[in-house]
Amino acid sequence: MMTRRTAVGAGLAVAAVACAARLGAYEAAARRGQTRSIDVLLIDETIEMPRQMAAFIEASRQRLPVLGIQLDAAAHAGLMRVLNSSRAIVGISSGATLFCLERLAWDHGFRLRGRSQWCASEPGDQAFGQDMAALLSGASAAPLATCAYRPSRADATLHAWVMHKSARPPVLQDRREV
Amino acid sequence: MKLPPNVSQADFTAALTAFARIVGEQWLFTAEEDLELYRDSYSILWGEADERTASAAVAPDTADQVIELVKVANHYRIPINPISAGKNLGYGGAAPASAGSVVLDLKRMNRIVEIDERHAYVVVEPGVSYFDLYNYIQDKGLKLWIDCPSPGWGSVIGNALDGGVGVTLAPYRSHFDAQCGIEVVLPNGRLMRTGMGALPGATTWQQFKPGFGPRIDGLFKQSNYGVVTKMGFWLMPPPENHTTGLVTVPKFHDLIPLVDIIGRLEQSKIVQGYWTLSSPTTGTRGDAAHSGAPLVDPRILPILNDPDGVNMDKLAAAAQSAGLPFWSCEFNLYGPKKFIQAQWECICDAVGAIPGAQFKLNEIRSLPLPAQDLAKLFDVGPLGIPSLRTFSLGPMISYEGEDVVGHIFFSPVIPRTGEAAIEAMDVFARIARKYRLPYPPLQFPTSIFERAFLFAVGLPVTRSPVANAKVRAAFAELLSMATARGWGEYRTAPAFYELIMGTYSYNDHALREFLETIKGAVDPNGIMSPGRYAIRSRHP
Repeated sequence: MMTRRTAVGAGLAVAAVACAARLGAYEAAARRGQTRSIDVLLIDETIEMPRQMAAFIEASRQRLPVLGIQLDAAAHAGLMRVLNSSRAIVGISSGATLFCLERLAWDHGFRLRGRSQWCASEPGDQAFGQDMAALLSGASAAPLATCAYRPSRADATLHAWVMHKSARPPVLQDRREV
Repeated sequence: MKLPPNVSQADFTAALTAFARIVGEQWLFTAEEDLELYRDSYSILWGEADERTASAAVAPDTADQVIELVKVANHYRIPINPISAGKNLGYGGAAPASAGSVVLDLKRMNRIVEIDERHAYVVVEPGVSYFDLYNYIQDKGLKLWIDCPSPGWGSVIGNALDGGVGVTLAPYRSHFDAQCGIEVVLPNGRLMRTGMGALPGATTWQQFKPGFGPRIDGLFKQSNYGVVTKMGFWLMPPPENHTTGLVTVPKFHDLIPLVDIIGRLEQSKIVQGYWTLSSPTTGTRGDAAHSGAPLVDPRILPILNDPDGVNMDKLAAAAQSAGLPFWSCEFNLYGPKKFIQAQWECICDAVGAIPGAQFKLNEIRSLPLPAQDLAKLFDVGPLGIPSLRTFSLGPMISYEGEDVVGHIFFSPVIPRTGEAAIEAMDVFARIARKYRLPYPPLQFPTSIFERAFLFAVGLPVTRSPVANAKVRAAFAELLSMATARGWGEYRTAPAFYELIMGTYSYNDHALREFLETIKGAVDPNGIMSPGRYAIRSRHP
């Protein structure tokens, strides 16, 4: 029986390979100053990643920090630290988690610069992998959505996205002791 | 650049220059990309001419800076609208109450000014969120608990000022009632402290709410009489244990004695924890331990799915045939084990007067729960822990073919009786069917308030002006039906401020006239959040 999880897994088999290949290309571009260095890869722990994507995430750990995120208090402090100290972040999450993360990240000066969503109803689709590769390469290609994420029927589907911190200081900084 | 109403470009430019001098240029926001963040994502007026959008935003760091900003706003007659975290989606978010206002973004003021474990209170600035306060207490290892709303990313002060509520013990659930002492910058730029805080060097500001003379703290709830820069809150000692107890009663009309009995237990302070009402006919046991999708009895399903609405007589008969109790109540119980057991014994004795009532006390767990157990719980609010898990409830549904991007609440306060609950369930479900709103077959009132029910009806928000107009029409009809029964809203989205205030019309709108007289006296230039909760200066 085809479930949402198996559908996502099948669809992302190619994606994982494509992403892994492009991660190296991204780093080369970053070294040439063509894009911002990605500081961290945020992974939504509220959804179960398909096996192939999990493999990609594991591979990514050797190249950049990977932080698992949940929408709870335990993860919140770690997330705040990352948002304070990072300049560019990439993530793979549900739309619902992205909605929350984007709003938290706004206060730290981040703006969404690229987003792609992949629907589980399209097994075998390679688009997600290509989009993920584009995000990691810093291309932020025009076809990728760059406006704020708005909740929709796509809330439960996987989204890959990149956020950059703007040059001006963030409204929210470390809480100060009195 | 958008201008505030009745302000010239020259004056606005001069005011912005003065704002920047006070806070630093980097904390003044006028770019479109920045101002986009000061829109309410859940606005029911999104993209329409009446949407409340900001002309600029300015982010002070101290109360002294707020004072200077207010003076400049007065000089140039610039409307300013303070926000704290700005996460109050559906109730305005970061958007101003009046279009063209300058948002006074207080997020940078995020200091925990004082926390006192011995007397269980905290004094915070507006930028402190529930997450911040919770994590601070955890980091310091303090023996204190907070009461937080869901979601928990909001400001402690902002939520209280807006009349927000939580789900732990009754004395702490109404966040404004749990406050003790306010520091506020008045619209004329003067700094004032309420209660014992008016006494220089006061040592009991957070220990004695009444102070001396009139108790004016309530003037700053759901109003626009100043910028609150500090607020004290009573916190609770962490309970030793927690559990839930489940009570079921068999018949539909058992709800009437059930609510009365629980009401007496609450008035006697025997029941202090939040309790929830539900019906096993909808396929849930009615307790938090239940997991998985509801399994509705096949004999009951057609009754719940009847397009003409649920016929309660048929449902009651079907429930009886299926051997299901009609109502269930889950009680949150806290404290020493023997205290929980005594509370439960009192509940069983009292509710046991209803024939067929059944009782189940779940395992009493020592607190804090291990992290792995917390991770399995969807709702950690009753344990005093903030989260954003409410956002992961699943994909949004659509309305009128449009993606639903958020919600607003129609939130009337109804009497704490079974009769009112039954009537409200029927009345609101009929309107929901008329407007084809996404609505559960049975919707229940909640016991968040101590003496009345809250009957919150969630309404969808889309990005379609046509669909949103239909929702506004549904809201107006819900309001009309509620008002006719003497039920009033406790809180509302900015789009409905005028409509709701119009219903509080006793003696030819005497309350509104009084509020506006105060407004005229303390804010003669009408610069402070004009129109918030429909309060405007009578002498602008």
